[in-house]
Amino acid sequence: MRENPMMPKPHKVIKIDLETDLESTFRIEVDTPPALGQFYMVSIPRIGEMPISISGIGPGWVDMTIRNVGKVSRAVHSLNEKSILFLRGPYGNGFPMDEFKGRHLVIAAGGSGIAPVRPLLEHYYRNPDEVDKLDLLFGFKTPDDILFRQDIDRWKSRFDTILTVDDACGIWEGECVGLITEYVKNIKLSEYDKMEIVIVGPPVMIKFTAAEFIRQGVSEERIVVSMERRMSCGLGKCGHCKISEYYICLDGPVFRYNEAVKLVD
Amino acid sequence: MAHDVNTKTAVKNAYRITKVRGKTALRIRIPGGCLHAKHFDLLKHLAEVYGDGLVHLTTRQGLEISGLDYAGIPEINRLIMPLLQDLEIGIGVEIHDPAKGYPSAGTRNIAACIGSRVCPFANYDTTSLAQRIEKEIYPNDYHVKVALTGCPNDCIKARMNDFGIVGMVEPQYDYQRCIGCEACVKNCASQVTGALSMHKGKVKRDKRRCIGCGECILKCPTAAWTRNPAKFYDILIMGRTGKKNPRIAEEFIQWADEDVVVQVIKNTYKFIDEHIDKSLPKEHIGYIVDRTGYPVFRDKVLEGVKLNSGARVAKHVQWGGCRYSSDVFLSD
Amino acid sequence: MGWKFTEAAFKDLIVKLKADYTILGPKRFVGQGRFSDTDLIRYDEIESLDEIVWNEKSTFSPKEVVFPITQTLFYFIEEKFLEPKLDENKILIFLRPCDINGIRRLDTIHLRNGPQSDSYYAQLRERVRFVMMECMEGFDTCFCVSMKSNITSDYDMAVRFGDDEVLAEVKNDDFTRYFSLDLPRVEFTPGFVQENTIKVTVPDGGEISAGIYNHDMWNEYKSRCIACGRCNTTCITCSCHTTTDIFYDDNMRAGERRRTWACCHVDGFTDMAGGISFRKDNGSRMRFKVLHKIYDYNKRFGEHMCVGCGRCDDNCPEYISYSSCINRLSQVIQETDACVKIP
Repeated sequence: MRENPMMPKPHKVIKIDLETDLESTFRIEVDTPPALGQFYMVSIPRIGEMPISISGIGPGWVDMTIRNVGKVSRAVHSLNEKSILFLRGPYGNGFPMDEFKGRHLVIAAGGSGIAPVRPLLEHYYRNPDEVDKLDLLFGFKTPDDILFRQDIDRWKSRFDTILTVDDACGIWEGECVGLITEYVKNIKLSEYDKMEIVIVGPPVMIKFTAAEFIRQGVSEERIVVSMERRMSCGLGKCGHCKISEYYICLDGPVFRYNEAVKLVD
Repeated sequence: MAHDVNTKTAVKNAYRITKVRGKTALRIRIPGGCLHAKHFDLLKHLAEVYGDGLVHLTTRQGLEISGLDYAGIPEINRLIMPLLQDLEIGIGVEIHDPAKGYPSAGTRNIAACIGSRVCPFANYDTTSLAQRIEKEIYPNDYHVKVALTGCPNDCIKARMNDFGIVGMVEPQYDYQRCIGCEACVKNCASQVTGALSMHKGKVKRDKRRCIGCGECILKCPTAAWTRNPAKFYDILIMGRTGKKNPRIAEEFIQWADEDVVVQVIKNTYKFIDEHIDKSLPKEHIGYIVDRTGYPVFRDKVLEGVKLNSGARVAKHVQWGGCRYSSDVFLSD
Repeated sequence: MGWKFTEAAFKDLIVKLKADYTILGPKRFVGQGRFSDTDLIRYDEIESLDEIVWNEKSTFSPKEVVFPITQTLFYFIEEKFLEPKLDENKILIFLRPCDINGIRRLDTIHLRNGPQSDSYYAQLRERVRFVMMECMEGFDTCFCVSMKSNITSDYDMAVRFGDDEVLAEVKNDDFTRYFSLDLPRVEFTPGFVQENTIKVTVPDGGEISAGIYNHDMWNEYKSRCIACGRCNTTCITCSCHTTTDIFYDDNMRAGERRRTWACCHVDGFTDMAGGISFRKDNGSRMRFKVLHKIYDYNKRFGEHMCVGCGRCDDNCPEYISYSSCINRLSQVIQETDACVKIP
């Protein structure tokens, strides 16, 4: 019998953590660990399938932080611990961890874009010597939208961290208010060949944040972005995620920005 | 100059009594409204040599040549023989003496929209059906107006006629071919009756709401919707203009086939024969039905008609329309 | 060398082949065209030679034979997944050289793009054999010669239909079992159309600059294109699809996952949960499709995606001519010198 790459496999939900009103993190049992930055096709049979990036990796499990904004994610949110979730994957290329070694790394994440970089941060939290320096820049719409608060507090203790909200809503006790792009200049950058910047978030956030780093003297080759597009297969067949000659599911989701800027939707 | 004209004979011969004493106007029938361009030479000659040089396009798609002398009628009748030959005899209408012009004018020209020969929306060839009906009901003195329209857009205003024949198409759905693009559903909701809805990625059609316009077939990019090649018609009856009670025609038979359409219209003449008020100089079919009631009309015109399967006959018909007697200004 | 069949002998061949093959060809559906009193020509199973419409271009391509418009991937019953039963019948398709070349593009995407091949496509595709219908003239909207897809050698049999005879080149020896070898031998190898009325100049070999993506030429299509997707559905090479899960009306515990064709011109193609979407205006959808067909597919796979069958031009209700658009694009590139040659 031919192997069917479309066939999802059952995985047990180990733990569910409520993050915000809309987002929860699902810890799911897996046999082999994925690479950092990869994604799975997650499905609930009879409801549908969707691509979800990995927001945590541990022995025998992965975390996926899922926003309750669609038909399938709504169904996922109705699951309990011990429920079965169906997965295909992991797919995609992941972050170029080797190339980050010994560099001054800046990780900028907007909104739910913090989810795919969380495993990266956990990795460097445990292995801080792998990079020369790590700066964090997080932006959320409002204080209520902040994801992984406890993690952020923990990361803060080890790395220089800027946490900003677009709108303080009168309840924000943090220092920074405003768009993430406004705080790029607050990060003290190293020499050209020592820098690596990771930017993950909505398309508009990626575009303007990258522009700001470039204005600060960082070259496109030193910026890494992770892109999200609609996908139906994750296998390079359905065509939804194709941009220019690249398929986000096969060649991405992580791209060097000098390549990514050439990709016109 | 004294004129001795038998107006009854002239009118029956398709010549109008005009406001200009001594002058008449000839009404040329063009069944289905489609005229070969070769006839324009003759029409020009008639208008310029015998008339006042003008040709009026009538509301029923005929042509009216005005300013003719009554005395010239016999000669004009001989001249228009090629028109009768081509437009009437040529399509099978029986005219005993074509040299004497039109044998009657009661049953009006059968009007039709341009139909499927040109229009993408039309569900049938209106010109051909107009010619077939003309053959069945002309010449006839009874006052009956028939209009054919290719689709429920009703460009010919079939609803203002005694018989309005609206083209219907039965859409056939192949769910395997449907890609769920929703083009048909969105269009039906915004342009038609909302008979279509999305259901689990595919389309459902509410047969009772569908009016057979065929828009779904036009919109479909995969031919998931195709035409049932059989043709169907919506027969609307007893619409009219006029001073007494103008009103729009209402549904009589939906999803009728072409034979049913033709037979029902033909049988209507038998109904008129039986029920017309012979004391009047003429009586319009709609007012006869008003007197007898719809069931009497229905039973008579369906006599001997073999209804195709799927044809649906209205149980009741209720016409509205205007009545000037209830005009608000009369209360003053 | 070829064989000369009388019409009767070829009819007989088809009858005999039908014992082992499902035979599909371009077939006329009388009165089922889009407009009243028009016919639809599309691929379907044929019963006899008479049904093959070989002298007109089909509205829809043979794509739907190898890549069904709707395909069930698996059924769900409770927690079990069941793949649809495999049909094992061999399939024979009567088609033109452009379409054979088009199916190679479908093969590329389904079998060779990415490390895993599409098992559904693969199991259907390997049952398919081609009968190439010789195409010496093409039709008025064809531009296969410009796209270098007028010629192919990928067929098991090639046929030339005559008035009362069929000349055939038989490459697959298996087919000789189905007809009498006493039939007259003739010198016959199929010819190929060498020139079309429509010629397109494809911007070949260079890197297209950002200026082309943002060029004014696409704006015109913002209002002209109505995003109906006919250019996608009639195209032999468009291979996009969307998967949908459903459960059955009377039993939520049972359902299926199916995939259906998707069109980059149609609304919703890029929609993501949460409200983000791309290419909202139809001009950028036109740009996306055109560049895929004659630029970026080539960069990835080394040949152009478009085969020049011209069905998009035949079927656009708004009279948008894709072939004219390519020529315009080439002209714009030349004028603006926006295409930088890769050394």
